[in-house]
Amino acid sequence: MRAPHRLALGLTLAVVLIGGILLALPAPELAAEPPLRVLTTLPDLWSITRAIVGDLGRVEVATRPGQNPHDLEIRPSQILLVKRAEILVRNGLEEDAWIDPVVESSGNPRLLRGSPSVIEASQGLALLKIPSGRVDRSLGDVHPSGNPHFTLDPGTLPTVSASIADGLARLRPDLARKLDANRSEFLALVEARFQRWREMLAPYRGTRVVSYHDSWPYFYRAYGLIELGVIEDRPGVPPTPQHLVSLVRQMKEQGARLVVLESWYPPDTAAAVARLAGAKLVVIPQSPGAVPGTGDYITHMDHVVKALAKALADP
Amino acid sequence: MRTHTVALWSVSILLLSLGSYLPGTAHAQDVDAVRQELTAVRRQLDSIREQYEQRLRELTDRLEHLEAQRRAATPASGQTPGSPAGPPAYAQPVPLTAASLAPAAPEPSLRETLTPRQPFALAQPGRTLLFDIGVSGDFVTDFTSRNRERRRDGTFAGRENRFFPREVELGLFGRVDPYASAVVRLSAGEEAAGLEPSDRSLTVEVDEANLTLLTLPLGTTARLGVMRPRFGTLNVVHQDDLPQIDRPNVLSRFFGEEQLEGEKGIEAFWVLPLPIYNELSVGAFDGDNEVAFGRGTLRDPLVIGRWRSFFELEQHGGLQIDVSAASGIATDAHRNTVLGLGAKYKWGAPGSGFPLFTVAGEALYAMRTVTTGGADTAPPRERRFDRWGGYLYGQWDLDRRWAAGLRGDWTELAVERGREWAVSPYLQFKPSEFLRFRVQYKHSEGTGAVERVANEFFLQGTFILGAHPTERF
Repeated sequence: MRAPHRLALGLTLAVVLIGGILLALPAPELAAEPPLRVLTTLPDLWSITRAIVGDLGRVEVATRPGQNPHDLEIRPSQILLVKRAEILVRNGLEEDAWIDPVVESSGNPRLLRGSPSVIEASQGLALLKIPSGRVDRSLGDVHPSGNPHFTLDPGTLPTVSASIADGLARLRPDLARKLDANRSEFLALVEARFQRWREMLAPYRGTRVVSYHDSWPYFYRAYGLIELGVIEDRPGVPPTPQHLVSLVRQMKEQGARLVVLESWYPPDTAAAVARLAGAKLVVIPQSPGAVPGTGDYITHMDHVVKALAKALADP
Repeated sequence: MRTHTVALWSVSILLLSLGSYLPGTAHAQDVDAVRQELTAVRRQLDSIREQYEQRLRELTDRLEHLEAQRRAATPASGQTPGSPAGPPAYAQPVPLTAASLAPAAPEPSLRETLTPRQPFALAQPGRTLLFDIGVSGDFVTDFTSRNRERRRDGTFAGRENRFFPREVELGLFGRVDPYASAVVRLSAGEEAAGLEPSDRSLTVEVDEANLTLLTLPLGTTARLGVMRPRFGTLNVVHQDDLPQIDRPNVLSRFFGEEQLEGEKGIEAFWVLPLPIYNELSVGAFDGDNEVAFGRGTLRDPLVIGRWRSFFELEQHGGLQIDVSAASGIATDAHRNTVLGLGAKYKWGAPGSGFPLFTVAGEALYAMRTVTTGGADTAPPRERRFDRWGGYLYGQWDLDRRWAAGLRGDWTELAVERGREWAVSPYLQFKPSEFLRFRVQYKHSEGTGAVERVANEFFLQGTFILGAHPTERF
């Protein structure tokens, strides 16, 4: 037998042997040592989870602050984050479906969807904008299970935080009491601020606004704003001129005062619509951390509400 | 309505009860008082009946009105939209026969017959399909000179000056159970079949059919089946996801047009527990690549290994480096070993991520022994060829829709004497995430066995229907 042949055969046998040994080894038990190592898919979930976990562990996020999760491509560094984590908190409504192939590439089976270590934050919520009838790509990159931007309504936080805290406590019962205390403290802070945010936007209840992307239905519901339309009427597909003309006419007829644009979209189209309709354009981040000093849920929402109130207050 | 019926029955039973009771107690009862009560009950009954009938009339009127509206909106076959709708069908006397109770299927109109229909539905409302289905279509046109077409030595050999389906792919993927996932990709594409210009065939192939074991110990993930092995930077990328319309020359020359595809075997990979991303993969395959490793048996397996590392740079950049090696036996029974080094850098602007700038390149070095001579005049002798080549490209994504780029190629031929270089500017337009168009110009010059100057103009249209895996770095 020639040397290269022996080498190749030896390598193959080694791979098979190693594979066999690995397969024969028992799976390691779930490590239960503190602190918690939690990974969240999106910055909003990161801010909420971090408030609940507090100093009980480390919470990381798989997307960069201010990054549009709709245009996300998988980076190997995300695989590393998944590999290091013991618990995954995800949105659960296709907004972060990209995490599935990341987990499958990580060699960390604890975070595969359906595992007890995976917490879906949308559970138990009354979701908005669940498409009915025939749903296909002619509607754009639509979310068939409902609009996923629920954390923009502070009123959803009791349910969302309960899902997260319960999921964490299920995996680490020894921390249940502290997690619950952190959650209560966080909810108390949010409730106090929510009252203030409502007061700030109370004079503008019933105001008609237009969004660039369909990110804000929960926010509008929370503060009594009326969504007159969406510029990007089919998510992920640039709007047609016919749609824009129709939207501008509708805005003029019904007196829409504001166009809300997420900071990660180019401003040209939204600015043109606002100008033609005689409305104001306000550019605001949709998730925490996109603007310096808005790294947590409360400062982020504070920034959003103040920006909107300021835009609506200006004559 | 149900309440009224119950009330009527209750009152009737009450009356009957009273009726049967009265004769036996006639002497003890005040007859006038009973009559008065009966009269009152009758009045109540009449009132209820009137209300009931009134409500029934209202509902009937409403139903008739709605039915008339519906019939006016959808005129019957042969009836013009403007013609009177006529009396509603239920107003006509209809014999209550079994045939009339079971409505016959209406004859389809010409318009209905001509309307395309969905042939079948895999998932129905309320019933979720347990895996994802995606279809991608990749159509290419290669415009070039008559000379290139006659010699069949264009980039898409045998398909010069043709619009052809390069790959139409059906992909099925999903979780098998809690422990494994699987993917099956079947593709059909036009290929040159023989030496004549008209010799082409549409071939269907199993590109991938593999199982991934996800829950192995020590962070091991293993794939087995038919797959694109983890070698280099671009080998793992499907035809429809390539950064340019054609594969770089060095990959086509060293491995064939489709590179290392459809290899059968097993592959394991690990993400190493280090502070930065490092992935190590090792695989053993039959070796079915006819250009480089065509032995096709596990007695002489094709062994492939790759190390890949990734560095997050600044806040918006990333650099990937990969080093690969593949060693196997070629069809001439000699060993062929190919080493690869690849790098890819991306930078995206804060916020939207656009503009996005990408620079990537790959270099391959092949060591191969070939038997030459063997004619009557000279005895056959073995010669070792050390050949290399590479490519480098840059792409500027202006926004989600528009991108432009430039690729440069330089490579030696794998076995024959000769080398070639090429330069290819290209433009990309993506109306949405699922639809893409590209144009690319390619100027190539070769020496030796590929002595030629070629100018080609490619057009490409790619669509994705249904599910598609997320883009990777």
